[in-house]
Amino acid sequence: MNENHNASTTSQGGWRVWFRAESVLLLLLVLEIGVFSKTGTNFWTRENFFEVLRLSVEMGLLAVAMTPVILTGGIDLSVGSLLGLCAICFGKLWRDAGLSPFAAAFATIGLGLMAGALNGALVTRLRLPPLIVTLGSFSLFRGFAEAITKGVDNFTNFPPSFLFLGQGYIFGVIPAQLPCFVAVAVSFWVLVHRTVIGRELRVLGTSPEGAVYAGLPASSRIQLVYVLSGGVAALSALVYVAHLGQAKADAGTGYELLAITAVVLGGTSICGGKGSVHGTLLGLAVLAVMKNGLTLSDLPGELGGILTGVLLLTVLSGELFMRFLSRRIRLRNRARLA
Amino acid sequence: MAAPDFFKPRQLLALGTATAPVLVAAMGVTMIILCRQIDISIGSQFALCSVFIGLAAQKGGGPLELVALAMGVGGVMGAVNGVLVAGVGLPSIVVTLATMATWRESLRWWREGEFVRNLPETFQWFGASQMTGQWLVITAGIMVLGCMVMITQFTAGGRFMYAVGSDPEAARLAGIRPMWVTFSVFVSAGALTGLAAVLNAVRFTDVDPKTGTGLEMQAIAAAVVGGVSVAGGRGRVLGVFAGVLLLACVGPGLVFLNLPAQWERAIQGGIILLAVASDGLGGGRPRRLREQHEEKKRR
Amino acid sequence: MSGMRKKEFMMNLIGRGPSRWMAAVSVTAAFLVGCDKSSDTAPSSGMAKTVTVALMPKSKGNAYFISCRKGAEEAAKETGVKMLWEGPTEPDPAKQNEIVETWITRGVDVIAVAAENRAGISTALRKARGRGIKVVTWDSDAEPDARDFLVNQATPEGIGQTLVEEAAKAMNGKGEFAIITASLTAANMNEWQKQIEIVRAARFPELKMVALRPCDDLKDKAFNEATALLNAHANLKLIMAICSPAVPGASEAVKQSGRQDVRVVGLGLPNDNKRYVKEGVTPSVILWNTMDLGYLTVHVCAALAHGKLKAGDVTYSGGRLGNLEIKGDQILLGKPFVFTKDNIDQFDF
Repeated sequence: MNENHNASTTSQGGWRVWFRAESVLLLLLVLEIGVFSKTGTNFWTRENFFEVLRLSVEMGLLAVAMTPVILTGGIDLSVGSLLGLCAICFGKLWRDAGLSPFAAAFATIGLGLMAGALNGALVTRLRLPPLIVTLGSFSLFRGFAEAITKGVDNFTNFPPSFLFLGQGYIFGVIPAQLPCFVAVAVSFWVLVHRTVIGRELRVLGTSPEGAVYAGLPASSRIQLVYVLSGGVAALSALVYVAHLGQAKADAGTGYELLAITAVVLGGTSICGGKGSVHGTLLGLAVLAVMKNGLTLSDLPGELGGILTGVLLLTVLSGELFMRFLSRRIRLRNRARLA
Repeated sequence: MAAPDFFKPRQLLALGTATAPVLVAAMGVTMIILCRQIDISIGSQFALCSVFIGLAAQKGGGPLELVALAMGVGGVMGAVNGVLVAGVGLPSIVVTLATMATWRESLRWWREGEFVRNLPETFQWFGASQMTGQWLVITAGIMVLGCMVMITQFTAGGRFMYAVGSDPEAARLAGIRPMWVTFSVFVSAGALTGLAAVLNAVRFTDVDPKTGTGLEMQAIAAAVVGGVSVAGGRGRVLGVFAGVLLLACVGPGLVFLNLPAQWERAIQGGIILLAVASDGLGGGRPRRLREQHEEKKRR
Repeated sequence: MSGMRKKEFMMNLIGRGPSRWMAAVSVTAAFLVGCDKSSDTAPSSGMAKTVTVALMPKSKGNAYFISCRKGAEEAAKETGVKMLWEGPTEPDPAKQNEIVETWITRGVDVIAVAAENRAGISTALRKARGRGIKVVTWDSDAEPDARDFLVNQATPEGIGQTLVEEAAKAMNGKGEFAIITASLTAANMNEWQKQIEIVRAARFPELKMVALRPCDDLKDKAFNEATALLNAHANLKLIMAICSPAVPGASEAVKQSGRQDVRVVGLGLPNDNKRYVKEGVTPSVILWNTMDLGYLTVHVCAALAHGKLKAGDVTYSGGRLGNLEIKGDQILLGKPFVFTKDNIDQFDF
């Protein structure tokens, strides 16, 4: 909620700004960092700072691209499977078709865009609910990946120049995949927050009918977000392959739910219309730091899963409660004024 | 299916026994989807219930106690979802995403993946012979199906579900309380998941705590293939029955046709997409558009 | 509702309070500055001289690895090392990789990994070796240059040979059999299958493999797959289950089908299968002593950390296991063990 607005209605309203999801997350992040600095070995080091960033790039790419999809009120359950499909297609193109890694990467991103376009077309042309469309392609993409490799083929021995993308360090400190992630995150931030298209996406999520009446090109915008999501999933697949040095049909299993978790934790409404890319990044950071900190503190990973669920519910209910409270206060003040 | 062996009674009996738990779980999910909600936590609920059943059976619980316990545990977990969705007003997909992770990971933490072993002889097939047991499981599945058909088509409760699913606001004005309908649907779905866990567990002599992985996707897929609209308020229970059977036949079907196993998932995905696409193409398009819009507005 | 949203939407467009951004930037800055200081001090502030050994199973939730852990903990107590036990909850190469990378940051002394995927884990393990961390693989190997030693429970050749021999014994040397595996992507299972095929072709050409089905490491799924196989192949004589949950799953399926002519053999834990071995459905279960495997792994790790074990050694004396042979860089636990009706009651794991 905006300061101007608050100031005009009530002088007490200023504090409300701190109860947005982003602020809660920031607080959580500081809390996590505080706790893990005490309990974790080598947690509070520059090396670990970059390590956390490096390990969350694949997931981060998916989550950032998922944000506009959810903003329009849609969802994309197929990104994890698409990551797997793209990973093995890249391997196939490079090893069996003899393309250079560069050409194969281009073709892979093309494949990702096309797969995204398939999702988009089913959603816009046939007016099918995104949840169901992507549930179908979730099985379909993974199924193709398994069928192409017959489940056993494993692509390895990629050239070092390609592996650098996932394993190298620029100047010896900055992980090589980080600039790529930053570029994508910034582009999506600009797209969502500083362009007309971003505004249209919110309108579509807030009121699809209104958007149509307002003459917005609804279909092509929705198509766009799914295509982008597919393309970024392919990019994420490249980073994944370069990071692990191998590609197999099970790559990215379960990533879709983690990406959605980060987006929703970041304050994006699952019903669409409300949300932000920086919120998603914060949500991602909270999850990544938690996972890293738990391992460095020698605690079992299951705890991370439990905490994720609890956090998700607490943050969302807290936000809902605050919104309810602030509306009550506003109504009371208005009544007092009248 | 081009393989005659597929229709042998023994194979059908085995397939039926294996499918009955999925059917029961899918019935619960169907109710939830009819109310314009979704539940992706049932796989985890299923696993947790199974482990509880196993532990209770070790302590010597009889069949009826086991069923009551499982449905109770499932109901409680469903109630948690219900409170958060209907009471607090959070979107069901987020709530069940969170509970899915919480239940599953808690179970892992607690049991560390260990089987529940050394169950008494009377546990398997409720202590009956195998043939009787298989028929018992199938009968239970069919009875649940029958009850669901009755409930959705001939009772006030069923009409409430359809009403809340198609337009909660109108339902409220008509004197229905959408909050309670949604809550009770989640509770009953949890209880049905518990029942499904019993039907699944009695087929074996020990309990694998990893059981139920992916059950939520199976159940939702079956409901969707069976023609239930995720926009709520539309769909038939018998359609879901057909959906469950269709998807259940893909795996064994591949074995009988001597096709490689790798295609199973691709074919299932293809069936889902085909089913919804044909639904989208064949009529009802303006209505679908409206539904979608309304869905977004309401949720 | 939509009115509310619209208002919020307008606000989002107008802009946001600068305070949040400031806060975010300042936290990041504080973090970076703080890092500068502590990265120098952190390594020296290590905790005295307890050796930390980090052990990773393929997946934590697998009964097989749970029994390995028991042995590992016993050895950790004997040798006085601090043992970490962490791994993905489901087999997942990316998660394994991530945990290893985090352990490198944490600064453990020895890392021991049961690799889910040969190539995937090797990059991280090489990095660990580069930082002076000793690396051991156990249960299933990574690339040879990515680790110091492999604690090998049994060679794929040994496993393949024993499996086919037991199968042939149960089938009287001829007939159809089917394999149930964990997943079509597991590297060591594929290696075993290759060995099974080699032994079969060379010594038992009258055996015929008719199907290969995955069970996702789930007993229920193995049961369903086995049931379908039994019904689809009327001449099936034997099901070979090569992952541990599949053996009881397949045995139960055979038992329920009432087919007296079908048997199960496989790689499984004695406790899971006692019932079926005694009933005769499963004439034999093949495995090594998993507790010994975990035990030996931790012993090897401790010896490496203390400098008692070096490349080039030919024997290793590991605690209660006595002297063991080292072949190149592989420490062999022994031959696979065959559990039958006569000896299965002596084991509890």
